[in-house]
Amino acid sequence: MKGWILPKNSLSYWLRQLRKDSDLIGPLRTPDGDIVFESVEKIHEIVLDPPASLPSVKEFFLPQYETVFVFKTDTVRPIQEKRKRVIFGLRSCDVAALRLLDRFFLDSQPDPYYSERRKNTLLISVVCNRPDPTCFCVGIGAGPYLKEGFDIQLTDLGDRYMVEIGSPRGRRAVREYSFVFQRPRKTDLEDQFEVQLSSTARFQQRINLEGVRSLILSQRVDEGFWQEVANRCIQCGGCVYVCPLCSCFTVTDRVYQEHIERVRLWDACLFKGFTRLAGGILPNDAPVSRTKRWFYHKLIYYPEGIGGFGCVGCGRCAVVCPSKIDMATVVLNIKRVSENAVSG
Amino acid sequence: MKKVPTVCPYCGCGCGLFLHVEGGRVIGVSPNRNHPVNQGSLCVKGWNCHEFIHHPDRLKTPLIRKNGKLIESSWQEALQYVAKRLSETISRYGPDSVGVLSSAKCTNEENYLLMKFTRAVLGTNNIDHCARLCHSSTVGGLAAAFGSGAMTNSISEIKDARVLFVIGSNTTEQHPMIAMHMLEAVDRGATLIVADPRRTKIADFATIYLQHRSGTDVALLMGIMHVILAEHLVDRDFVMRRTENFHAFEESLREFTPERVEKLTGVKASDIRKVARVYATEKRSMLFYAMGITQHITGVDNVKALANLVMLTGHIGLPCSGINPLRGQNNVQGACDMGALPNVYTGYQKVTDPKARRKFERAWKRRLPERAGLTVVEMTEAALEGRLKAMYIMGENPLLSDPDLNRVREAMEKLEFLVVQDIFLSETAEFADVVLPAATFAEKNGTFTNTERRVQLIRRAVLPPGGAMPDWKIITGLSSLMGYPMQYRDTYEVMEEIALLTPSYGGILHYRLDNGFGLQWPCPDRDHPGTPYLHRKKFARGLGTFLPVQFRMPAELPDEEFPFVLNTGRTGVHYHTGTMCRRTTVLEREEPEPFVEINPRDAEKLEIREGQRVRVSSRRGSIVLRARLRDNTSEGVVFIPFHFREAAANLLTNPALDPEVKIPEYKVCAVRVEPLEVVKRPKRPRRVDIEELRIT
Ligand code: SF4
Ligand code: SF4
Ligand code: SF4
Repeated sequence: MKGWILPKNSLSYWLRQLRKDSDLIGPLRTPDGDIVFESVEKIHEIVLDPPASLPSVKEFFLPQYETVFVFKTDTVRPIQEKRKRVIFGLRSCDVAALRLLDRFFLDSQPDPYYSERRKNTLLISVVCNRPDPTCFCVGIGAGPYLKEGFDIQLTDLGDRYMVEIGSPRGRRAVREYSFVFQRPRKTDLEDQFEVQLSSTARFQQRINLEGVRSLILSQRVDEGFWQEVANRCIQCGGCVYVCPLCSCFTVTDRVYQEHIERVRLWDACLFKGFTRLAGGILPNDAPVSRTKRWFYHKLIYYPEGIGGFGCVGCGRCAVVCPSKIDMATVVLNIKRVSENAVSG
Repeated sequence: MKKVPTVCPYCGCGCGLFLHVEGGRVIGVSPNRNHPVNQGSLCVKGWNCHEFIHHPDRLKTPLIRKNGKLIESSWQEALQYVAKRLSETISRYGPDSVGVLSSAKCTNEENYLLMKFTRAVLGTNNIDHCARLCHSSTVGGLAAAFGSGAMTNSISEIKDARVLFVIGSNTTEQHPMIAMHMLEAVDRGATLIVADPRRTKIADFATIYLQHRSGTDVALLMGIMHVILAEHLVDRDFVMRRTENFHAFEESLREFTPERVEKLTGVKASDIRKVARVYATEKRSMLFYAMGITQHITGVDNVKALANLVMLTGHIGLPCSGINPLRGQNNVQGACDMGALPNVYTGYQKVTDPKARRKFERAWKRRLPERAGLTVVEMTEAALEGRLKAMYIMGENPLLSDPDLNRVREAMEKLEFLVVQDIFLSETAEFADVVLPAATFAEKNGTFTNTERRVQLIRRAVLPPGGAMPDWKIITGLSSLMGYPMQYRDTYEVMEEIALLTPSYGGILHYRLDNGFGLQWPCPDRDHPGTPYLHRKKFARGLGTFLPVQFRMPAELPDEEFPFVLNTGRTGVHYHTGTMCRRTTVLEREEPEPFVEINPRDAEKLEIREGQRVRVSSRRGSIVLRARLRDNTSEGVVFIPFHFREAAANLLTNPALDPEVKIPEYKVCAVRVEPLEVVKRPKRPRRVDIEELRIT
């Protein structure tokens, strides 16, 4: 039988052991009541059933700002983070997204920075018993629980966790402390199944990306629709920044007196300057071409190139978008508009 | 990684965000989801406000000018030198020979301390800051009408409003998070009315858009009120019970028939009628305005006209019903509240009021000057005339932000002594005799007050680089050297002193701001929950006063030689003189160079093409920059953002002042536009199909 049982009482002990050689990251409550992922000092302060983090787990693999190397006149020193990390409490959608992001950063031309961090990080994800109102991973197969792709997946069964292992890294983290884990009984498996069912039933929105993809491919979404969407966008970049599957970055040099730092930072394809060409030409000067491309990238190009949608339904863009033109809203609007067009 | 909750340093929205700290460096930002203003969103500036903090250009040591060059020095040497030179100036020419500019970017505590330093130590009331250049008209106009000059509503009320009347505000770009609430209101069915000579993004969501001629706001508003009166839409009960001076005011409207106003403003009489009816008849009507109203020689009159409008219709003193000046800088509201103004102490207590003065004299144990001091623009005048000998500037950059820069430069050159305290070597700092390196918002504790009067805590996330110090520590250090010790453990002790001396901040103390999202003044005592909307039941001054105004044309109108009207302002990605945002990669890349927006029809007449370099000149100066053809400015009007030192819009602007509050007329002056070189029309790049651009 696969899986282990971890009594909730033993969770803090286990995390404390894992923290010995790693930075433990987990969801904590801020003074004003928001939840953020940060280094955990007091393990008992970890919030066990938090809303989806903002930003996504991407920030720990592709940081918003990182120095990649330092150079002087004749030397170059790469800056590589070797520190080990344990990230506790992330969600299924985050893990699913990382698996797709791996293909971007690790296939063909591996990115050493991303790859090093990926190697040094243990992910302990938790099945979502209570999805946020903005979540729609369920229709995409990226949540609320995963069948594979995780390091360690926990399912909250009340007083204990069902612990599933999905990678060698995960196996080591459990095996070393095997004395805190127990073999599951049949009722544990039944309870786990029940949690999976009830969680799946709790989603407030069901969104079928496949259907929308075919609507777009069959030319049922006209330019006017995209124009209207783009017109609302204020180009804040937020959707790209928080999306676990957006990987836009830019590179710049910071010139200090003694040395120069090559810096990589988050960027967004929604900025007109993102595709600025020499001579100041802006091929995507019209906001609609950028907005449309963002959705096309996620709904059309991603499935073609990477083999899965460029969206895991985490709902974060719905939280950050000041203009309410997030993935879920737009996709639902596409459906509504084209259905009206058919019936009208 | 640690995430430190704090407040965005850019605009007056005052969004709550977290600074992500790793290894003593800020490496990222994320929005606070529960914050009442931004609710999990940020604009592009907020998302990128981490980048300038560790920029290599940060000032790290004090600099003293020796033999014409700025040379690194120790703090002790620098502060002693400043103390000596300031003392000498005062003993030779008197205290009023020194002028001080405080900063709307610094905390309340720092503004308070600099204000105290100026009045108690230097002994002058010559203190002002950039609010003079943005909302002094509001402070003047609304204080006269109601007794208090701030946003009367809260941002979170916007989404429930039925009518939003936005005049002279490019809300989407300048107050993006307020625009977000407006958009939500529109989505919920509210009517949005936008009036602006320059058609900005917010107009795209408007039910009614009015494009009046630059500088004709008074006429437009008088026309609207004329209709309200003529069609009996006045809220008689409100006018009778809560206001005074109605009859004198009523008289002043007589001649402003919609037909006459149409001639003056270019707005159709029928549109004027429509707006009057919609605004007056709906309840829950909120009025918003910004620099398009205030930065005119009629700035105060414009504001008074708006105040009259809300009183006439009774749209004030309730939730979702009020008049809302959108304050620009993150802490411009606070800098004003703290009395960084030549005529008032904290909480707008007048320096000319002997009782107020006595109170501050007792608290500060010094005799205080009795006459109001000089304003920003008057300081320039005084320096030119040789009356002002020394200036102390904290976090401001008048050499790019003030009108008619050539004159400002001349004035700065005439000064015997100039001290600048800043985070970067700004255009003004380059001119200074002593430069003192300051800390950014991420490196100190304190409070900012946002545009809805919300006093919020900012928290130290990292240490300042090198020897840089928080502004408040620099001030206290200098003060002690000048024989007036100021001892505070941290800024919470300063706040306690502010609370003691300022009725509206009476209950605002750091410990109360620690959990949650601050307190909105007035908050008179420690149990008070703060005030979401003002003027409930009665106005701050008792009865609201109708203030009749007269229509005047802008100071400088186009003529044969200078046939265009120049309008200045900001873009959505940059902030003011660009010291922070122009050091931020993606912001600088979005708008890397100065430009002038010109109507395509004008451009055609002048044979100017998109991207072509043109020379724009006024009576005061001339700059060269690229043309951008946009039809959002009407024919005969051009627009230039003032961020760019390469082509500073303020070389052109007219320092004509509003007679009452001395705000310069940034929004209207006359210019000429000439194409520079005739370039061959470049071949249009082939339209790239979106399918070809795919990146997987
Ligand atoms: S597009 Fe939106 S919902 Fe989809 S993965 Fe990205 S942030 Fe999440
Ligand atoms: S979050 Fe919304 S407004 Fe911001 S860039 Fe994305 S789509 Fe545009
Ligand atoms: S709206 Fe203003 S306060 Fe909010 S993130 Fe943008 S600049 Fe900062």
